[in-house]
This record gives sequence, structure tokens and C-alpha cells, in this order.
Amino acid sequence: MEEQQDRIAGFLPEWLPPGAAIVTALAIGSTVMLLAGAARQTPNEKTMWTFARPHYLMYEPRIAAWNKSGRTPFDLRLLSLPAMERRMMASFLGDVPSADVLEVERRGVSRTFGGPVESVGFYDLTDKLKEEGLLEAINAPSFSPWTTRGHIFGLPHDVHPVMLGYRADLVEAAGIDVSKIETWEDFFREMKPLMADNDKDGKPDRFLLNMWETNQDHLEVLLLQAGGGFFDEQERPTLDSAINVRVLATITTWLAGPARVAADAPNFTAAGNKLKADGYVVSSFFPDWMGDIWKHEIPSLGGKMKLMPLPAWEKGGRRTSVWGGTMLGIPKTAVRTPKDFDVLWEFCKELYISDQFMRDLYREGGIVTPVKKYWSDPIFDEPNAFFSGQPAGRLYINLAPLVPNRNSSPYNTFAMYRTVDALVKLAEEARATGKYDMPTLESRAKVYLGEAQRQVENVLKRNVFLSGGAS
Amino acid sequence: MSAGAAKTGPASSSATGGFTSKSAPWLFLAPFLVCFALFTVYPLVQSVVLSMQTTFGPGATKFVGLSNYRGLMHDPLFWIALKNTAVYTLGSLFIQLPIALGLALVLETPGLKGRSWIRLLLFSPSMVGVVFASMMFALIFEKQTGLANQGLRAMLAPLGIEWNLDFGWLQQHVMSALIVASLWMFVGFNMTFFSAALQNVRKDLLEAAVVDGAGPIRRFFTVTVPAIRPVAGFVVLMSVIGSFQLFELPFIMFNNTSGPDNRAMTIVLYLFQNGFETGDLGYASAIGWALAIILLACAGIQRLTARGEEAGAA
Repeated sequence: MEEQQDRIAGFLPEWLPPGAAIVTALAIGSTVMLLAGAARQTPNEKTMWTFARPHYLMYEPRIAAWNKSGRTPFDLRLLSLPAMERRMMASFLGDVPSADVLEVERRGVSRTFGGPVESVGFYDLTDKLKEEGLLEAINAPSFSPWTTRGHIFGLPHDVHPVMLGYRADLVEAAGIDVSKIETWEDFFREMKPLMADNDKDGKPDRFLLNMWETNQDHLEVLLLQAGGGFFDEQERPTLDSAINVRVLATITTWLAGPARVAADAPNFTAAGNKLKADGYVVSSFFPDWMGDIWKHEIPSLGGKMKLMPLPAWEKGGRRTSVWGGTMLGIPKTAVRTPKDFDVLWEFCKELYISDQFMRDLYREGGIVTPVKKYWSDPIFDEPNAFFSGQPAGRLYINLAPLVPNRNSSPYNTFAMYRTVDALVKLAEEARATGKYDMPTLESRAKVYLGEAQRQVENVLKRNVFLSGGAS
Repeated sequence: MSAGAAKTGPASSSATGGFTSKSAPWLFLAPFLVCFALFTVYPLVQSVVLSMQTTFGPGATKFVGLSNYRGLMHDPLFWIALKNTAVYTLGSLFIQLPIALGLALVLETPGLKGRSWIRLLLFSPSMVGVVFASMMFALIFEKQTGLANQGLRAMLAPLGIEWNLDFGWLQQHVMSALIVASLWMFVGFNMTFFSAALQNVRKDLLEAAVVDGAGPIRRFFTVTVPAIRPVAGFVVLMSVIGSFQLFELPFIMFNNTSGPDNRAMTIVLYLFQNGFETGDLGYASAIGWALAIILLACAGIQRLTARGEEAGAA
């Protein structure tokens, strides 16, 4: 032991203790590794972060081509959605750089709108969009999630109209003609024969709609379709609006009671996919991006599915809604000179606005572009094998202009969960009391949505930047 | 004293590099003190300041005094989170710890074969990590296809009972699902503490009790329990602290949400939602300090109880 100490002491200078030497070596080693990582980037290289693997795979060859063209090179990185959103928020709140271009999902972006409009971490694109005529060129509702207090902070990636995907094999075998369906009432009436109890176990063999009270996305789709939602255009909460009350009460009759028509076959899970493949649910909400997911996750349903516009809440009502959304944004920290902005803006347009991107987006993801001039492209008329040969692109584009506007309040997610809470309470109360008549359900929905409204108001009041004063 | 030890004496250290015996300890402590000040003390102080602010980045910060704390007192979601956390904590204390102690008693039964293997088997769930366990239980508790409902249906069918496959473990019975998942994960872990404590119970006292005619229950309460009390106190305190910090299990089981009607909302989850989803770091800091005060109170009560017992024993 003593010998060893002597050897170490002989190797190290007398003033440097072994412990300190180890710590110093570690510090030097990690610094070198960090510098080596930074050195991998070529000088002047810009970075772009995305959160979706399909997007990453789609952009990779296009960015490689861009880099070969001699323009400022870009390095594309794939991060998990929560990791990316947290790094983005940390960079905005700390006023430190993140990536030069960020591809962000709707809910992540709205979180950046919680402070004064001048403190939003993204570069304001409003003037640029106006100047280049992109405000008119792009489907107007596609801007709404990236717009706060009249300022637009992102270039839209998509429209994401919602249709109803249904099991055409089952529906057609039962001789049901979907062209007769205009409203939700029509839909459940016409499809009712599919809920027969053939195995005589006292329960229907299948349910007509895949939805459940705990699924926030389904609820938002239906509320937006009906003209409801969580905030008005001035970002004031509207959770207890008459439309929301009616929608929640109606949905409750779908979920519980003698007229129950809906069941839970969760998306993106093996268990849910099995239920869908087994025909436990006849129809599901289908935004344009969903088809590609089903095609890969439930290939057995290829050729057995068809799309139809969402049944309306009333005759002549809206036959679509919206689910999801992504944008490209340029963080302010990435723009040190006007030239920086020009380079980044050119890159964003090349990635999102080009005709090549429109084709890749549809071919690889089934997603229709928000750029209206491309909507007449024949690619959207090609038959889609998964949807029994229907021209899925054309069906979605027909609905694209009707997609409802959304709000970009930083409290959207909070408000959405409070509305879900109200629906959960309402459905459970209805099951417990056995009262499913609309007047009772509406009066109870008003109470629960009133509670939700107050909670959102309280949270808003705490935000001195949006409410205009300290609480 | 060896020659090597003599080299490290005060005379030698004061001669090395000019360090005096007075400054040397501080020099050795300096790396820790600097890191402690930088990464513990400064953030703690800063979080107190932050809890009195509404902030949205460096350019958008307003001092709001105790407004965040006042808001907390009138925030129904905070009280729901507190209630859920308390129920989970009680579940941990009154279900998990007795089971852990019972298993430890069984394992310490003289002559038990395969003791090491059983101990490993029971301890192993705590090695797999909360994230894995949470994902696994989210699948187990699925309606229709989940192992829990399918298993219960298969087991109850011979008794003529038809278990409802739509039983909503993750909808209506959230706390039961969380407690069952945490039982699986932590019973074995706590059992090892009790096991170690039971091995230190004096055999002569137990034998004396047997000679005095005490039965197993009497021996347990008059000899075993007093002997394992310090360890039991420690396990209780750690369980309370761990339960109040519950986060990953509900966060993952309920897909980054607080569950239907906030039934899986815990204090730390609420803190996370405010800080990192709504972006209200000031309010999140106030929640953090409320939690710290609750945990300090628990630790204080445990200390007082332990002191009282020590004084009684003396």
C-alpha cells in the first residue's frame, strides 16, 4: 500500500493529490469530448431538430441534396417530442441558443406563448408571410395554432382534416349505404344493425364508434367540429359554452346507457390495434396522418377500410374537424444578422413549400399539403389500396378549406384536460344514476363545465402577462 | 507509526506547497463546498425567489409576493393532488409495509429452504426500474385485453362469477392500480430492510421468552417489534418521503396525464405540469416548497417519536 502510494506520489507532482488528479483528468477528458462533438459540425452549419421519425426519414435525403447544392449546410437531428419541447422551452426561458430551425408540434408551440408577445422565443414571421404572398397561398386555418395576438410564428406543415374511417367489409356486408348518412344521428341509426349480439352473451358484438370519455383528442375533434372549443378569438375561456354543454351531453349518451354506441380501442397500442383488427369498433376518427399509421400497425385491415366525411352535428353542418399539427419555426437566438434569417427562411420554404415536399408528404405520410396551389395535383387522385381504392388525398382536400380554426392559448392543454374531467364526471354520474335524458345531462354538463371554466380562469388570472395584472 | 504515515504529518503538510495545517482542510473541502453552493444552495435560494414571481424568461418576470402560495391554498387541483398523494402514502404504509414485514418474517423462519432464491425473487422487481414497471402495468390493467381483467375472468369463471372485461383499472380504480403496481415494485425492497433487522434480533431474548411461556404473537410484539423499531421507523420515513415524491409511475401509466378526472394527480406531477407543461415556473416552485414543508414535517415527527422512544428506553 505504502509502496503504491510512493509510486503514485513519484508519478504525480508533489502538490497534486491523487484525488485531485483524477478529477482534473475527468474534467479535461469530458471537455475534449464536448469539443470533439462540437467540431463535428462544419463551420457555419445550421441545425434543425424534428420530433417525428417519419419526418426525419423524409427530410434526410432532401437535406443531403440541399447540402450538396453549395448552400449553407444543415444538420438534421431527431429528438423525442418531450425532450425537444423541454430543450426548446429551456432555451426560450433562458434566452440561450437551441437549434436554428425547430419543427414543433402544436401543443409544444402554444406553451411558448405564455408571456408578452415580444418575449415569444420564435421569430415573428407575419410580415415575411404577407410580403411573399404566403398568407393567401396557404390554407388559412393552418396558421391558427401558430398565431398569437395577431402574430404568426410558424410555417405550417399540414392541414390535418379529420374523416371517419370505417370497416367497409362489415358495413357493405350488412347492406348499409353510407351515402344516406349526413348527421351523427343518421350514422348511428343506419349502422345500428352492426351492433347485433350474435354470440348471445348479452352484449353487442361490436360498437359503432371508437371513442371514450378519457380520450382528449376525440373530445377536441368533436368540440371543434361542432363549433365549440376551449377559448374564443380573444383567448377568453369558453369551456362552459352552450355548444360544449350540448356536445358533452350528447357524447355521454354515446358512451353510456341503453343507447351506448361507442367503445374504447386505444390508438397506438397493441391492445387497441387488436380490438380494431377484431372489428370491436366499426369506425374511428381519421385525420390524414392516421392512415399511414394503421397501414403499418394493422396491415390486416388493408382493403377493408373506407373513408367518409365526419357526420355533422346537424343537417348542413361541418363534415370535418382537425387533429394534430406541426410547424417550422426559427428561434430568435438563431438570427444574429438579417443574412441568418434569409438563409433559414430559404431552407424552411424549400423544405415545406416545394412541390417535391408536397409529393413526399403525401406519398410517405398520407398528409395533404396546406399549399393550395398543389391541391389540383393528380397525385391526390391516385387510388389508395388501404382505403379500398378510394382517392384518399382528394377526399381530404375536399374537406381542407372547412377545417375549423384552433386557438393557440398556452392554456389549451390545461383547458382540454379540464373539459375531459367534466366529461368523465358526467359519464360516470350518468352510469351511476341511470339518467340519460338530455335535459338532465345538459344541466349536469353545465355544472361540471362551469367548474372547469373557473379552474381555467384561475390559472389565467395567475399569468400577469396575459391577464394584465397580478392576481 | 509507519514511515509512510509519518510523511503525512502536520510538519510535512505545511512544508508541501506552502499549505498550512489550517488551510489544508478547507482546500480539501473546497470542491465539495463550491459544488454544494453552486448546485444546491443557489438553486434552493433561487427557487424561493422564483416562487414569488411570475416569469416567462429573463425579459418577462414580475414579482408577485406570496400570491402563488395564496393561489395554492385556493387551488382545487392542488388539494386533489395532496389527497391522492396522501391516500397513496397511506396505502404504502398500511398495505405495503405489513406485507414486507410478513414476508421478512417468513424468510427468517429457521430451516427455510431456498431462502436466498426467494429473497432474490422478491427483491428483483425493484431492480427493473419504475419506467419499465409502469409501462408493464399500463398493459396489464388495459380493459378487454389486459392480463388483470383476463386473469380475473379466468380465475372467477369456475366459481360462476363473470368478471367484466370493461373493469376500468385505469379509469375508475386508479389508486388501486397504482398501489398494486407499487406493491409489486417495492415490497421486496422494503422486505430486505426488515429482513436485516430481524437477523439482529437477539436470539437469547427470544429463547428466554419461549422459556417464560410466551407464544409466537407475544414474542413478536414484546421482543421482535421493539428490536426492529429503529429500522421500522427508518423504513416508514423513507416510504412516506418516497410516496410523497410519486411521479414516474402515474406519469407513464397514464400517458403523461394525471388520469381521468385527475385521479392519478400527485403533488410532484402537478408541479411538473405547472412548471414544464404550462410554463408557470413560479407556481411550480411554490408547489415544490409546499411539498418540502410537508416532508420536513414528516421527518420532524419521526425524529420526535424516535427521541421519545429513546428517552423512554433510557
